[in-house]
Amino acid sequence: MSTFVTAIRSFLLLEVLKGLGLTLKYFFKPKVTLNYPYEKGYLSPRFRGEHALRRYPNGEERCIACKLCEAICPAQAITIESEPRSDGSRRTTRYDIDMTKCIYCGFCQEACPVDAIVEGPNFEFAAETREELYYDKEKLLSNGDRWEGEIARNLAADARFR
Amino acid sequence: MITLTIDGIEVEVEEGASVLQACEAAGKEVPRFCYHERLSIAGNCRMCLVEMERSPKPVASCAMPAGNGMVIKTDTPMVKKAREGVMEFMLINHPLDCPICDQGGECDLQDQAMGYGMADSRYQEPKRTVENKEMGPLISTIMTRCIHCTRCVRFATEVAGVPELGAIGRGETMEITTYLEKALASELSGNVVDLCPVGALTSRPYAFQARSWELSHTSSIDVMDALGSHIRVDSRGNQVMRVLPRNNDDVNEEWISDKTRHAIDGLRTPRIDRPYLRNAKGRLEEASWDEAFTAIKKAIGKAKPDEIASIAGDLCDAEAMFALSQLMDKIGSPHKDCRQDGSVVGQQGEGSYLFNSSIAGIDDADVIFLIGANPRHEAAVMNARIRQNYFNRDVKIFRLGAEVDLTYPVTELGDDARLLEKLVDKGGPVVTALKRAKRPMIILGQAALRRKDSMGLLDLVGQLAKQVDLVKKDWNGFNVLHTAAARVAGLMLNFLPGKGGKPTMEIVAGLEKGNIKVLYNLGADEVDLSQRADKSFVIYQGSHGDRGASQADVVLPGAAWSEKDGIYVNTEGRVQYASRVTFPPGDAREDWAIIRALSAAIGQTLGYDDLSSLRQTMTAAVPTLAVTDQPQSAKLGKIGRRQAITASPMGHAIGAGSGVSFYMTCPISRASVTMAECVKAFELNDKAEAAE
Amino acid sequence: MEMIVNFLTSPAVIALAWIVIKIFAVIVPLLIAVAYLTLAERRVIGLMQLRKGPNIVGPFGLFQPFADALKLLSKETILPSGASKTVFVIAPMLTFVLSLVAWAVIPFGEGMVIADVNIGILYLFAISSLGVYGVIMAGWASNSKYPFLGAMRSAAQMISYEVSLGLVIITVIMAAGALNLTDIVMAQKEMWFCIPLFPMFVIFFISTLAETNRAPFDLPEGESELVAGYFVEYSSMSFALFFLGEYANMILMSGMTATLFLGGWLPPFDWPVLYLIPGVVWFILKIALVLFMFIWIRATTPRYRYDQLMRLGWKVFLPFTLIFVVLTGGILLGFGLLPQ
Repeated sequence: MSTFVTAIRSFLLLEVLKGLGLTLKYFFKPKVTLNYPYEKGYLSPRFRGEHALRRYPNGEERCIACKLCEAICPAQAITIESEPRSDGSRRTTRYDIDMTKCIYCGFCQEACPVDAIVEGPNFEFAAETREELYYDKEKLLSNGDRWEGEIARNLAADARFR
Repeated sequence: MITLTIDGIEVEVEEGASVLQACEAAGKEVPRFCYHERLSIAGNCRMCLVEMERSPKPVASCAMPAGNGMVIKTDTPMVKKAREGVMEFMLINHPLDCPICDQGGECDLQDQAMGYGMADSRYQEPKRTVENKEMGPLISTIMTRCIHCTRCVRFATEVAGVPELGAIGRGETMEITTYLEKALASELSGNVVDLCPVGALTSRPYAFQARSWELSHTSSIDVMDALGSHIRVDSRGNQVMRVLPRNNDDVNEEWISDKTRHAIDGLRTPRIDRPYLRNAKGRLEEASWDEAFTAIKKAIGKAKPDEIASIAGDLCDAEAMFALSQLMDKIGSPHKDCRQDGSVVGQQGEGSYLFNSSIAGIDDADVIFLIGANPRHEAAVMNARIRQNYFNRDVKIFRLGAEVDLTYPVTELGDDARLLEKLVDKGGPVVTALKRAKRPMIILGQAALRRKDSMGLLDLVGQLAKQVDLVKKDWNGFNVLHTAAARVAGLMLNFLPGKGGKPTMEIVAGLEKGNIKVLYNLGADEVDLSQRADKSFVIYQGSHGDRGASQADVVLPGAAWSEKDGIYVNTEGRVQYASRVTFPPGDAREDWAIIRALSAAIGQTLGYDDLSSLRQTMTAAVPTLAVTDQPQSAKLGKIGRRQAITASPMGHAIGAGSGVSFYMTCPISRASVTMAECVKAFELNDKAEAAE
Repeated sequence: MEMIVNFLTSPAVIALAWIVIKIFAVIVPLLIAVAYLTLAERRVIGLMQLRKGPNIVGPFGLFQPFADALKLLSKETILPSGASKTVFVIAPMLTFVLSLVAWAVIPFGEGMVIADVNIGILYLFAISSLGVYGVIMAGWASNSKYPFLGAMRSAAQMISYEVSLGLVIITVIMAAGALNLTDIVMAQKEMWFCIPLFPMFVIFFISTLAETNRAPFDLPEGESELVAGYFVEYSSMSFALFFLGEYANMILMSGMTATLFLGGWLPPFDWPVLYLIPGVVWFILKIALVLFMFIWIRATTPRYRYDQLMRLGWKVFLPFTLIFVVLTGGILLGFGLLPQ
C-alpha cells in the first residue's frame, strides 16, 4: 500500500511542487542583500580589521617597542626593531606587519600594554600587489591617524568588558 | 659536616654553609635578590625567608648559618605569606614599566613576582621616584627600579675593587649612587648589569636593542684577551647582539671584562666583505676571488721560497694558523711567526710559555711576583681573582714594572729591568718571600718578553726560579701571561721561524730591505709595514679594514671570531672551542677555507676539505690540541740565554703608559664605537685629571 | 554596371538576401536574448535565494551581460598542450552553430518561419541530437580527465533522454497528425496539447532539462566532482561559444516546448481580442515562461546522482512514455479522434 502511495506521490511530483512553491515564496520576500559598496553592515566594536598604530593626543606615538606583540604573534607577522630615540625614550625604528601573514587573531592588541597597536574597523584595504600589504611603521601610524576617532570610540565601548 | 632537615629531606652540608645553600643542596628553590654566590652576604632583601622550627619568625636563609639538627620548611603557608609580603613591599616602589625595561623577560623580580607574589597590588599611594645616576658609557641607570639589593655595591667593592658605588640615605630615601656621578672606573663594570636582579642597571650600548626571548644563544670563547673566558653570545638574525659570561670556576668564574662584553659592535664595521686588489694607481680596488688568487699566484711564483714569509695575528684560530703553516711548509718558506709583537717566548718548550700554575692555581699561591705584567689591563678577570685572594688569604704580591693601580696593594720594586739582575745576585725580600712560599708564582708579562734583551731577562728568571725552587713536584710557579688569544695555539702549532727563518721584526726589516718579497699576513694588524719596499707583495687576510688591510696588495676577506668554529688556546694551555654565531658578511669565508682554496690555486693543495678532517690532521700533528678544556703545564727547561740587560723601564703591554689602551687592543675593539666611548670616558678623563 | 545591377536584382540573389536578412532577424535577437537570459538567471536565482543578484552594472544590472562578454573576450585563449587542437577548436563552434541552425524551422508566427519544411519536427529532433557531438568532441579533444568524464556523462545522459523525448514527440505527432511545426501549432487552436497530453508535457519538459544539461541534471558539469565538466580546459571566446550554445539551446528547447505543447504563437484563448497582440509576442511570452521554469527549477532542486538520473531515464520515463504512446494511439483510434 505504502509503495503505491509513494509511487503516486512521486508521479504527482508533489515534493517537487512543494519545493517550487517554497522558492517562489522566497522570490517575493524582501531581500537581505546589502548593496555592499553603498550600504555597509554593522561592525562590532571588537571587530578586528586593518592594523593601526595610535598616538597620544599630543601627537606622541604610543608604541614603546616592548615587542610583546611581536612575541605573541602566532603568525610571526610582526617585525620590530628598536633603539633609544634622541630624547632617550624607547621607540621603534621599524615596525612592520606583513598583512599577508596576519591571521587577524587580535593577540597583538591584547598584548599591547599601551593600546598602541590596534586592529581598527577598516577592512577595505585590498591591494593590487603583495608589496602594498607589507605595512611599515609610517603606514601604520597614518592608519592610526585616519581611524583614531573610530578606534577610540570602539575602545571606549568595549572598555568595561576588559 | 652538618646535617639538617629541609622539608623532610635530610641533607649534609659543609661547615659554614648557609641555610639557603642547604636548601639548594636539598633541591629546594629559594627565591632571592640580594644573595649571590660570589659576593658577600647582605641579607637585606628578605626574599629568602624560610620557616625554621623553634623560631617564632621566619628566618632569612641566606644569612642564617646552617646548624646541626635544624628543621627547615620552605613550603609552608607562613613562608608563602612572608614571601608575598616581602614581594608586595618590594613592588610598592617598583615602577610598572616592564614593557620599556630592558630587563623585561629575564628579570628576577618579574619571575619571582609571578612565582611568589600576589596577583594584584593594594597600594594606592603615589610611588617613589629616584633620579638616575650617571655611570659612564656602559651602564645606563633607571634608579626608580632599584630594590636596594646592593649586589652592585658589593661587586664594585669586593670584586672589581673600585669602591665607588654605595648607598646613601635610609629607608625609602635610600639610593644607590656613585657618590660623584662619575663612570665606574673598572674593567669589569659591565658585570653589575648581569648582577642587577631588576632593570635598574642595564647595558647602555645594548639599550632597547633586543628582547631576551628574541635571541639565540651560542656558547663560545672570548678572544679579546688570552684568558679564553667562557661566554654566551646572543644573536638575532645575523647580528651579534650581546655577550654574557658563562660560569666557569677555572677561568673566569662569572665575570667578563668590558672589552669582551662590549667590543662586539666592532664586528659590524668596517668589515672586509670581498677581496680587494691594489691597482696600478696604488688604490685598493674590489676584485673577485679568482682575480685575487691569480695575483697571489703570480707574486708567489716570482719569489723564491726563501723570500716568502708569513705572520699570524692575535685573533687567529688554530685551524687557520695550522693551514697557513702547512702551506708555508709546502712552499718551503721558513719565515713564519705568530708573535707579531716581537715576543721571544716559544722556542724553548711548552713550559717556557704557558701559564703553568693555571688560573685557578692563583687560589693556592701564597706569593706572587709580577714581572712586567699588568694583570688589570692584560687579563682583567684574572686580576679580580688575584684581588680576591689578596683580601681573603693575604697573598703577598710583588711587582717589577711600571706602577699601575691593580685595585689591591702591591710591593713595588721599581721599573728598571736591571733590578732583576740585582735580585738574582744579591737576593732581597722578594727572593726570601718566594723561597719561603709553599706555592710561589712568577707571572711574566708581555712587556718583559718583547724587549731586545728579553732573552737575558728570561735567563735571569730561570736562575731565580732555580734559586727559589719555583717548580716543585706538584707545583709549577712559572707563568707567562699572554695577551693575544691566538698566541698559545700558534706556539703549540710551532708557527715560529723554522731553520734559518726570520722572526717578525726581521721579516719586517726584510720587507724593507727587499730580501723578503712576499708576506702572507694572517690578521696581524699591529705590525708596521709602512716602510716596506715597493716591489714587495703583501697578502692580508682578515676581517677588518684595519692597518693590515690598508698596507696590503691583496686583501682576502676572512671571518671574525664570532663567524667561525675555531679552536683557541688560552694562556694556561686550555684548548677551547669557539662556535660560530653568525655568518661572515658578503664574500668573506672562514679563514682555513680561504687558505685551503688558495693552496689549490697555487698548486700546493692541502689535504683536507672540511673542518673535521683539518682538526684531525692538526691534532695528529700536535697532540696537545686534542686535550680540550684542561689547563696544561710542562717542565720548565732552560730558558733564555745570557745577555746584557739594558737599563730601560719595563712598562706594560697594555694599559697605563704603554700607549695601548685596554679598550683598543685589536681590530675589532678598535672598530667598536662603544670602546671608543670608553676610551673617552675613562682614559682621556684620567689624562686630563693628571694634567691638572 | 548594368550587369551588376541585373545580377543584384535577379530573383535568386534577392531570395538569398531575403533569407540572410531573415536569418539575421532571428539570430540577432536570439543572441541578445541569450545575453539577457544569463542575467535573468542570475537575478531570478538571486531573488529566490533572498539575494539581489547583479544590479550594479547599468540600471538594474542591465549591462552585466556586456561586462561579462567583455571580460570573456579580453581573456587569453588557452590551447592545452596535450589537446587535439583542431577538434578542440571546432567543438565549441559546432555546439554554437547547432544551437542556431535548429531555429530555421521554428515558426514565430503564422508564416513567420525561415524554412517551413514538412518534416520540421524531425529536423529539430535531429539537430538537437547532434548537440552531443560538440560535447563529446570537447571532452575528447581536451585530453584531460575531467572533461572526458564530463563528456561521457553528457553523451550518455543526452542519448538516454532523447529516447523518451522521441516517444513524447510521437504522441504529439499523433495528436497533431502532422510533422510540420506550423501544422502542429495550428492543431492546438482548440486546445493546447499540454492539457490532453499533460503527463507527456511534464516528461518532455523534464527531458529537455536533461537534454540541455540543466539542473537538476547538470551532472556533466558537476562542480563538486568534475570541476566544470567538458569545458574545464576552455577559456575566453571558446568558452563563451559553449556558453552561448548552451543558453541558445535552452531557448530552443523552450521554443520547442512552446510550439509542441503551448500552442506556439497562438494566444491562450481563442478570443478575437487576443489576436490583436501579434503571435510573435505570445510565442516569446511562452518561451519566457518556460525559461522561467528552467531557472526556477535550478533554484529549487539539488543535483541528481548519476545512477538516479539513469534510472529515471530508462526505468521510469521510457516505459511510461511507451505506455502513453500506446494509450494515446488507442484513445485516438478508439474514439475516432485521429486528425484527418
